[in-house]
Amino acid sequence: MIRYLTRRLVQMVLLFLVFLTVTWFLLYILPGDSVALKYAGNPNIPPEAREVALERLGLDKPVLIQFRDYMFNFFQGDLGVSFNQYPRPVVDIIGERLPRTLVLFLTALVTYYWAGFVAGKFLAWRRGNRGEMAVTIGGVGLYSMFLPFFAFMLIWFFSVQLGWLPISKFLDPEQWRDAPFAANEVFMRLFWVTLLTAIAMFMASLAAHRTRGRMLERILRWGGGALVIAAFLFYWFGTEAGQGMRIYAGDIAFHMILPVLTLTLINFAGVMLLTRSSMLETLREDFILTARAKGLPEGMIRDRHAARTALLPVATSLVLAVATVIDGGVITEAVFSWPGMGEILISSVLSEDIPLAVGAFAFIGVLALIGHFVVDVLYGLLDPRIRVTEHG
Amino acid sequence: MTADRLPVEVSGGRAPLLEVSGLVLRYDTEVGEVSAVENVSFSLGRAEAMGLVGESGCGKTSVALSLLRLAPDNARYRSGSILWEGVDLLGLSDQQMRLYRWAEISMVFQGAMNAWNPVYRVGEQIREAMYQHFDPPLSKPETNQRLDDLFRLVGLDPAVQNRYPHELSGGMRQRAVIAMALSCEPKLIIADEPTTALDVIVQAQILEELKEIQEDLGLSILYISHDMAVIAQVTDTIGVMYAGKLVEFGPTREVFRRPRHPYSFLLLSSIPSVTGPRRRPVSLEGTPPNLLAPPAGCRFHPRCPWATEQCRNDEPPMMQIGPSQWAACWNAEQVPEMGDQLP
Repeated sequence: MIRYLTRRLVQMVLLFLVFLTVTWFLLYILPGDSVALKYAGNPNIPPEAREVALERLGLDKPVLIQFRDYMFNFFQGDLGVSFNQYPRPVVDIIGERLPRTLVLFLTALVTYYWAGFVAGKFLAWRRGNRGEMAVTIGGVGLYSMFLPFFAFMLIWFFSVQLGWLPISKFLDPEQWRDAPFAANEVFMRLFWVTLLTAIAMFMASLAAHRTRGRMLERILRWGGGALVIAAFLFYWFGTEAGQGMRIYAGDIAFHMILPVLTLTLINFAGVMLLTRSSMLETLREDFILTARAKGLPEGMIRDRHAARTALLPVATSLVLAVATVIDGGVITEAVFSWPGMGEILISSVLSEDIPLAVGAFAFIGVLALIGHFVVDVLYGLLDPRIRVTEHG
Repeated sequence: MTADRLPVEVSGGRAPLLEVSGLVLRYDTEVGEVSAVENVSFSLGRAEAMGLVGESGCGKTSVALSLLRLAPDNARYRSGSILWEGVDLLGLSDQQMRLYRWAEISMVFQGAMNAWNPVYRVGEQIREAMYQHFDPPLSKPETNQRLDDLFRLVGLDPAVQNRYPHELSGGMRQRAVIAMALSCEPKLIIADEPTTALDVIVQAQILEELKEIQEDLGLSILYISHDMAVIAQVTDTIGVMYAGKLVEFGPTREVFRRPRHPYSFLLLSSIPSVTGPRRRPVSLEGTPPNLLAPPAGCRFHPRCPWATEQCRNDEPPMMQIGPSQWAACWNAEQVPEMGDQLP
């Protein structure tokens, strides 16, 4: 196992180096004089000033030297400064934007995978009832919807017509006027608290899954879940740290509802249909017949034997979805004016803010690699047949 | 003597454990009703080993699955009953039936590979059955002790229970399946092609061990197989099925020595004999009938070399031939002698 992990880590580092090199050169060969166009914002600046600017940014050196310097600095944690927001360091900008993207898209990802899996499970189990048709058609209809169009429809309905939800952005400036916190601080807190809650929930259901007594399982599943939610609420309402931040965190969560809803409605059908077909296939397996012959209760056959085994292809699709968490948000972020990584990607590339663009791509690469790694390990835990052995 | 109350006598006068009478099972399909099991009756006593033989698709697995009420969703029981110690299993609710499964009747499935869920350890899959059926529940050490004993009983190292199914060889997997079938102290084990997927040597070992276990524990076993040799080795009584019907029933010895139905006769003649008189194996011509529209009269008549006008028109009932042998053939008395006239 250790050897496998080390090998995977080395592979990841090598892959990342290749990725970074290709990205750097691709962006370098973008046509246009970024300094003349953007830095000074004026093509008519005196040649002397231009020379000074180029020198200060290191753009006067040969390309390979620039590349060498960039790589050298990169691994010391220095990604350079943004051309557009000079002299703000790239790391600073990304550090501000990344949590915003992660919070939004991880929430959406978890929501729609969970909803899709549960819906698919019941569709396959109660095959052939009338609800199935409606859910399947509805789901496929939503799945084939064009995202910006659908997002605008939801905004129109919930924000404009009903006025229930905010139209866009991630907070309400009025409310934040004298806020004692920076938005990012709240985001980080929101991110960690939510992540811990999700992990605790997962552990509780895992523990419930492992027990054999039906009473005990129920106690663990519902009691454990209730306990976690209680702890979550206690943090925001009971503790001093949580109470102070609650209104601001609540404001952000309020702004997240519509984008998460959009992403969930559009994406859950894919997961649902995948789960359904995987589950139907599993239900035809002999071990389901064995489980029935053993006189296990139906709920146990459904959850412990069928759904658990049908989970494997769904976990594979999660690998692919992890990438969308980081970059697939470009359109969604644009529609909802959500200031995250997607927005950086577009604006930095369009305005040839090369250091920021390379930095953003680098972070997306790192996150995609980590995501794949986590899911690989997770997959090994889920399926003993591909679990890595010591001599593997 | 109707087919409804058949061979109680065969089980030596003991009250039967299981009594199937007049079972009719049909499958609803898009193209019509498939008559999979037609008026099948037999009984099985305690500590008795019975075999059901027949070609693929003759309904033997349908019969076996019916005993646990595990036939597919499109199965319809048109008539008949399955009495288990006097209780009609077909009349039970799903909840009640669940308590009979494994605790009373367990099953060794064909193709042991697929009988295991790939994501759980072998021992865990046996434990979950034991957890359901022991009342009061076994304590943890009792469960572990019992698992160890079961694995030793079937000739496996108890450490095997901590492995995943894909880590076991075919023979080990089949042995573990037998351990699983024994786990809740059932009175009857249905062994559906228990050894088909194994090589001949392992097959012989496992059959031998199964027979020993059966005798030691006083179990009843119902073997389902298409392989006459397997059945001959391990059973006391034998039922021969053809196209959904039971065509012959009797003590294994008798049936092998003097088959009374042309189908059993031809099946036996198709096995080359090493020790008996030299003769050419006979091949059974033709294919089983389409069960969507079974032939009138005796279902075997299109393939029977001795079929008469009567066979084409009237369905023969089960008739008692010897002291404990039954056959559904109009010419049952003459069958073995007629066989001598075969080319």
